[in-house]
Amino acid sequence: MLRSVILSGAFALLTGVALAHHGWGSYDAAKPVTVTGPIVTSKFENPHATITVKGTDKVWTVTLAPTSRMTSRGATEKIIAVGQNVSAYGYPSTVEKDEMRAERITVDGKTYEMR
Amino acid sequence: MTDAAPAIFVALEQSGFAAAVRQSPWLYPAANIGHIVSLVFFAGAVAIMDVRLLGGFAATAPGRLLARARIFAIVALAGMAVTGFMLFSAEASHLAVNPVFQLKAALFGAGVVNVALYEFLARREVDKLPPGAIMPARARAAGVLSLVIWVAVAACGRSIAYF
Repeated sequence: MLRSVILSGAFALLTGVALAHHGWGSYDAAKPVTVTGPIVTSKFENPHATITVKGTDKVWTVTLAPTSRMTSRGATEKIIAVGQNVSAYGYPSTVEKDEMRAERITVDGKTYEMR
Repeated sequence: MTDAAPAIFVALEQSGFAAAVRQSPWLYPAANIGHIVSLVFFAGAVAIMDVRLLGGFAATAPGRLLARARIFAIVALAGMAVTGFMLFSAEASHLAVNPVFQLKAALFGAGVVNVALYEFLARREVDKLPPGAIMPARARAAGVLSLVIWVAVAACGRSIAYF
């Protein structure tokens, strides 16, 4: 018991060291953006799939949905594969530069809801 | 992945284990569910212990009730540690610099210190008390602190996703 207490305390201290701020929840719904272009990188991973898209202005990191939801909506790994042309409507992050969270994406004329 | 995090967390996130958690369709959600189920048992066991420390359930000798509840709390905490490590490793570099996660870790540390203080300063006395005895002030203080701290830890845990 005592040893586990000390170990957990040490872990808590270790995890408390970090400094900067980064997070998930901050997206500006008042300034929706649509990013259109080819998919440059694609990660079909939990907790959220993410793609990077070469938009007209810059390369955006687009945060999508959990993989199980993506799959059940038909937005499989193939749909968001590298090289596919995508149009993502969503909200820019107020924390992370050039990141947005997609409300919906359109690939090959088909729209997939992410929420 | 963010480079703002200390290297150990970046390495953890880039490990094969963390990749497996992210890439499996069921591991991450399973860990999520396991974390919550463990939380339910942990909170239940802790609440029983805290209420007893505050003088509730007075018909039973505190030592006996606490011993039973302690087993549930330890097993549930182990479940939370395993599932929590899975969830953490998948996004380690981001979580390590997330202010709410840091607050949760600090509060967790405070909860552990509270347990240690109780074990060293109050447990021996409490374990000898008969049913119906007035609980010592130190035991009641530990009970109140425990309730407040663990509820705050849980609230922080749920809040990580929003910061």
